[in-house]
Amino acid sequence: MNTDSVTNAIPSNVPAHLVQDFDLWAALTAQGENAYAWAAKLHESMPPIFWVPSLGFLPGTWIPRRSKDLRRILQDPETFSSAGLTPYPMLLGESWRLAPLEVDPPVHAKYRALLNPLFTPKKVNALEEDIRQLATQLIDDIAQTGRCDFNEDFAKPFPTLIFLKLMGWPLADRPLFQHWTQTLIKSSDPQVVTDNAREITGWIRARIAECRANPGDDFTSYLLASQIDGRPLTDDEMLGINFLIFIGGLDTVTSTIGLFFRHLARNPEQQAQLRADPSLIPDAVEEMLRSYSIVNMRRTVTRDVQIGEATMKKGDIVLISTELANLDPEVFDQPEKVDFLRSAGHAPHMAFSYGVHRCVGSHLARRELRIALELWLTKVPPFRIATGTTPRFNAFGIFGMEELHLEWDVEETR
Amino acid sequence: MKIIIDNKACAGHARCNEVAPGLYELDDNGYISTAGFDVEVGQQALARRGARACPERVIHIVDEPANPPGNGLNKGQKQ
Repeated sequence: MNTDSVTNAIPSNVPAHLVQDFDLWAALTAQGENAYAWAAKLHESMPPIFWVPSLGFLPGTWIPRRSKDLRRILQDPETFSSAGLTPYPMLLGESWRLAPLEVDPPVHAKYRALLNPLFTPKKVNALEEDIRQLATQLIDDIAQTGRCDFNEDFAKPFPTLIFLKLMGWPLADRPLFQHWTQTLIKSSDPQVVTDNAREITGWIRARIAECRANPGDDFTSYLLASQIDGRPLTDDEMLGINFLIFIGGLDTVTSTIGLFFRHLARNPEQQAQLRADPSLIPDAVEEMLRSYSIVNMRRTVTRDVQIGEATMKKGDIVLISTELANLDPEVFDQPEKVDFLRSAGHAPHMAFSYGVHRCVGSHLARRELRIALELWLTKVPPFRIATGTTPRFNAFGIFGMEELHLEWDVEETR
Repeated sequence: MKIIIDNKACAGHARCNEVAPGLYELDDNGYISTAGFDVEVGQQALARRGARACPERVIHIVDEPANPPGNGLNKGQKQ
């Protein structure tokens, strides 16, 4: 998409010195492997809150870069609404919401209460063995081959299988889900996104009808049996929640895991550090979540508000850039440096956002990432970027690796 | 030493519980189950680490001696 065609007029409330004429996502994508180091430098060159005239096919938006400001914004959903955050219902000409994400407090809590008990640390503990088993199968299939297409062989199937198992949905539909995830979230073509959103909603609606006729032990049946304000959920509410779980639970882990493994493939000494001391893995997960944050979201300003130099008007859009907050030098010394010994407890990152919309799957995601690292480092010899391949990074919407091929030396003992 | 938690603002990151499970207990929804507690001698360092781990910064330490050593908690506000 030619972003130059989206030259939007600069609103009168934006002073000229806060306007920065570049497309953050396009610039990050162009930076490739240097994207995060480049993003860290924005903290030296940009005002605390600046304004860009366009972002991909999206209109002009404020971009706060400091962790402090982003926390304040995310902790104030009354002023910074997440209603209408995603384009999917609109693209389909429908009016459902991705609840609870696109619902503001106080109603938000009613939806969130349905999800919270399913994703607690305790619930995730109970999934540990299932996750381990699924990862083991995938890794055992490739460990002896000496080479893999990391996305196709691991990063996509791993979270998808866990997701389907957790949802109680048919594991046989895995290829369908993997396809939809990629085309829905990674495509910059509105028609492709619309077509796939229609297929996904079709699948979910059929699932709802099936479970209504024949309730089972799955997530959809659980929602059908749930109530809000003493009444069952409407079909639109059912659809919105199922759709949100779908987009939240699949691509995010795939993308994150790709960035983690590119880092380890490029930094053999840090890979060796974790192999020598696996007790560092949980800290490494936190540090890489901080260093390689992938989620950009938006909020809409509901009333005029001043943050520092930025005079935001009702209706303005604010970008929530988790990677900028997590590369903030006011919080993290040498933020561009990935250091597994950096004490995660001293300065928590915001890869899972702040405030009421904190990623409900954060505990599950952490566990999946930890187990993936543990098992790979145990079962696969030191790996590197495969000869003749170039990792490809994309920062459109949810950042991640489009291409990542790894190779390693297989011992010829058998 | 005392821990005061603005538990209405807890967003369920559960990092305090990850660092110090015995001190920061969670409810069935995975959110902090207490608005605060007294910290026994010997548990103070752990309680502090749990407080610092909170991304929302809603866990507060009180009854500390004046001029507590720099611990990174207020780093965002440093001059």
